[in-house]
Amino acid sequence: MSAGSLPSRSSLLLALLVCPAAQADDLFVDSEALPQVLTATRLKQTPAEVPGSMTVLDNELINASGARDISELLRLVPGMMVGNISGNQAAVNYHGTNASEARRMQVLIDGRSVYRAGLATVDWSDIPVAIEDIERVEVFRGPNTVSYGANALMAVVNIITRHPADSHGTRLKYTRGQRGINDFYASQGSSWNGGDLRLSLSGQEDDGFDSDRSGADYRDSRRLNRLSLAVSHTLSDDQSLDWQINAKDGTNQRPYTYQPVFSGITAAGNNSDVVAKDYAGSVRWNLDINPQHSLYVQGSAQHWDRQQTWRACDAEVSFSPELTQLWQLNPNYTERLARNITRFTGPGAAPGTPQEMALANQVLDQWRNGASRTLCGDIDQSARESRYDLELQDTLSLSDSLRLVSGLNYRYDRADSETYFNGTLDDTTWRAFGQLEWRATEHWLLQGGAMFEDTRLVGNSLTPRFAVNYLINPRHSLRAVYSEAIRSPDMFENNVNWSYQVSNLRPSAYGQSSARYFVKTRGPGDLDQEHMRSRELGYNGYFAEIGLALDVKLFYDEITGMISEPLRNNQYIASNANNSRFRGTETQLDWRVSRADRLRFTYAFVDAEASNPLDQQFTSRNSGSAGWLRDWGHGWNSALFYYGDNALNGYRFERVDTRIAKRIPLGKAQLQLAGVLQQRLDHEPNTFVDNNYDERRVMYFSAELEF
Amino acid sequence: MRYGRSRKTPTLSHWLAGVFLFVSAWLHGVAVQAADILLTGAEDSPGVQAFVQALSELRPTDSVRFQPLASLPAPGKLPASLRLVLLDLPSLDWRLQEPQGPATLVLRISRLQARQRLGSSQPARLSLLWSDPPLSRQLQLIRQILPQARRVGVLFGEHSEFLLKELNLAAEPLGLHVFSQRWDNIHDSRPLQAVLKNSDVLLGLDDPDLYSPKTAKNLLLSSYSRQTALVGPNIAFVRAGSLASTYSDQHDWLSLLDQLLDQPPASWPRALYPARFKVSSNAQVARSLGIEPPDDVSVASLLAEGERRP
Repeated sequence: MSAGSLPSRSSLLLALLVCPAAQADDLFVDSEALPQVLTATRLKQTPAEVPGSMTVLDNELINASGARDISELLRLVPGMMVGNISGNQAAVNYHGTNASEARRMQVLIDGRSVYRAGLATVDWSDIPVAIEDIERVEVFRGPNTVSYGANALMAVVNIITRHPADSHGTRLKYTRGQRGINDFYASQGSSWNGGDLRLSLSGQEDDGFDSDRSGADYRDSRRLNRLSLAVSHTLSDDQSLDWQINAKDGTNQRPYTYQPVFSGITAAGNNSDVVAKDYAGSVRWNLDINPQHSLYVQGSAQHWDRQQTWRACDAEVSFSPELTQLWQLNPNYTERLARNITRFTGPGAAPGTPQEMALANQVLDQWRNGASRTLCGDIDQSARESRYDLELQDTLSLSDSLRLVSGLNYRYDRADSETYFNGTLDDTTWRAFGQLEWRATEHWLLQGGAMFEDTRLVGNSLTPRFAVNYLINPRHSLRAVYSEAIRSPDMFENNVNWSYQVSNLRPSAYGQSSARYFVKTRGPGDLDQEHMRSRELGYNGYFAEIGLALDVKLFYDEITGMISEPLRNNQYIASNANNSRFRGTETQLDWRVSRADRLRFTYAFVDAEASNPLDQQFTSRNSGSAGWLRDWGHGWNSALFYYGDNALNGYRFERVDTRIAKRIPLGKAQLQLAGVLQQRLDHEPNTFVDNNYDERRVMYFSAELEF
Repeated sequence: MRYGRSRKTPTLSHWLAGVFLFVSAWLHGVAVQAADILLTGAEDSPGVQAFVQALSELRPTDSVRFQPLASLPAPGKLPASLRLVLLDLPSLDWRLQEPQGPATLVLRISRLQARQRLGSSQPARLSLLWSDPPLSRQLQLIRQILPQARRVGVLFGEHSEFLLKELNLAAEPLGLHVFSQRWDNIHDSRPLQAVLKNSDVLLGLDDPDLYSPKTAKNLLLSSYSRQTALVGPNIAFVRAGSLASTYSDQHDWLSLLDQLLDQPPASWPRALYPARFKVSSNAQVARSLGIEPPDDVSVASLLAEGERRP
């Protein structure tokens, strides 16, 4: 049968139609009408067939890690750089780039992207999913915009929650520990004829880091509550409907970081905390047209609400219309004047154009005449972002050896912020994608695809992807992958219109109780997409006899047209002028040594070179993890993990985590008691200089009841 | 003798063979005592007709006929020399009305069905030929296609619980450990989750309370999402997504019947699994689980060889 030709397809269909009828004549072969469940379109690729490198964090590993955050789990992925901006802001990037801006990785929850629509970040701590609801995390290590859309530039983290049908019963869990750790989780799963649901409620609390660089208390604790409802309906033999609702509400503390521009100002606010609310809903309709053809339509709506207002103090002259005008003419000149204003009060304005000097002298006059007095007012840096997404994906198994996945996607993004966008900004994106998987022979598997994307604010692009897997046998393969990927600049990078309207001014500024601060920053509006070219050679193997799974890869990735300027409000000049490249090797090994023991090991060597030194910061040249899980019998389990980065943003990170758990049957119910101990092995801050703990050790305990 | 009218039109060679058989039967009939074989079942169907036809072709010297259950008198009223073959459960119920009656071969009955009807008793003059695959054979199949699997998960219900003892006995010499879990309420998937968590492979028992069109989707999707293969319980499940199962088809049953009918009814076993069988596997599922798709024929012959030389 020649693969792919139309006659072969029709003969295959014919054979499928005829076969059961022929067997129906046999009185002894069960002719019970059973729908085909594991159809060609439902079956997944084996690890050896995946066109790239993949790490799967299964449920056992997630539990054993004792992790309270999704970001912490990702330490188990080779090449993943996991750090912290503060106690409630994780920074995660694959291979590296900027430490404070991790925006080149796609993060999905059950297929829905949680990458914020307007502000180019993933708020790991605010993702409205409890770790207890996660079935597994699949990390595709490498660019894959063809399958996951733009932003899947360096890697894709796919978080898959437990299917409602797999989460029946009641679970109650309570965790308490040092550093203010105080978490709870409660879920109820049940089913009826043709449907299943899971409702879960959870909460998380901790104090974050203990002290900043000066030894003062660091304001970065968090408190949050989540609700999640997942429902699955079987509509008929060939149709099902899944829907989810997720909500999260909480407070993230932020230290007060505003530094007055003008000298002599001593008054200050005390925090810039954020109230963060996330809402998401999605519906997915699955249709199996026949065992060789299926499709789904998924629609989702998400809303991110970040309310951040704080009181800031500066000199009245900050609101001077003349100073604002001067900033628009020459920000550098203005900043020099503002920061050193007392030096110019005597001699007058510094040399510049006559217009600049005239404005500067007017500002100096205002300063001398009393505008040097302190004003305090409310700054509102809130942002509300929404995303609506509709996707159609079709999987067609053309023959035993040929499978086509294709689809269309429409997305509408909207961001609303007085501070960042001076109102509302929106964008629409259309995407079409297709990927073909061709098993040329028993040994050769060829996969290729492309994605076309058109974004209203940025323009269009086409990205291809090719992979060849040579299957030595079904469990061992060699692969070569070439892929291109793009990342569209987000609204913030490209279209920011950043200025502060300060309200409740006391005393009033130039007679106004609400006025605009003089600094104003605009995005360039004409940024192009970042472009990545990635090359990979790899080996994946499973030695079934000894239970050992191994993956090794060599990679060479380049990003060009890179937007790497930090997002700051003084003189933000974004451009596509930068580039970087990453090369190195990664290994992961998962070995079930015996029924009781499992060993896991990951290692990554990454060599980064970037035109902007900031983009080299978040790469640890050597990083990895090692783990040992053991089932001691009689309900006792233990896990021991080591995590290490030789230098992440310049700081070493080494930690050993231990978890010991005991299951106690209580009639039909089961109680699990667990204790986690994390011990830092180094004395350095965590990623940034302000992230310090008083003790290098933390302990927390949990009790979980299942019935 | 009745021919299937709708499905199979006899070809010329069939006709010639029929004529030849008739003539030879007639010639031998004078000397040899022909057996009178009566097959019965509640319903006639093309499948039944094809089977009766094939049996009569196999035993040209005997008189082989099918008579619907409704047209038969009480079993005790049938001649004792008759050999009765039952094709379904209603016919078994009819046969059990009276202990007297002709020697009877019971086909298409599973261990579970027999247990529900007969308890642990073994009525006289009945020979039960099991339709469900023998547990030891299914375990051997697991050993053959999943040599690394050690922990065999088994879901059982009220009606299939009695099989566990035998399953454990069969598993022990193979170095397999059985993790069994009761599943009384199919709307509660926790037992399924527990069994998948504690096993390398799931073995399906031929228990229609647990393995039915109602549960197939949940069973197959849940086990697949944990990359755990299901083995058994029958060929319909293999088509739906189970990895493999052993089974006996009409051909295998005919050969067994032929063998038994050659013997005097007194030497018929009280219960028997057919010695001839086949293996059916789902190559797509195997491939997706990273297993070399098994060669059904050679696996079956390996298993058969193992059964001949235990």
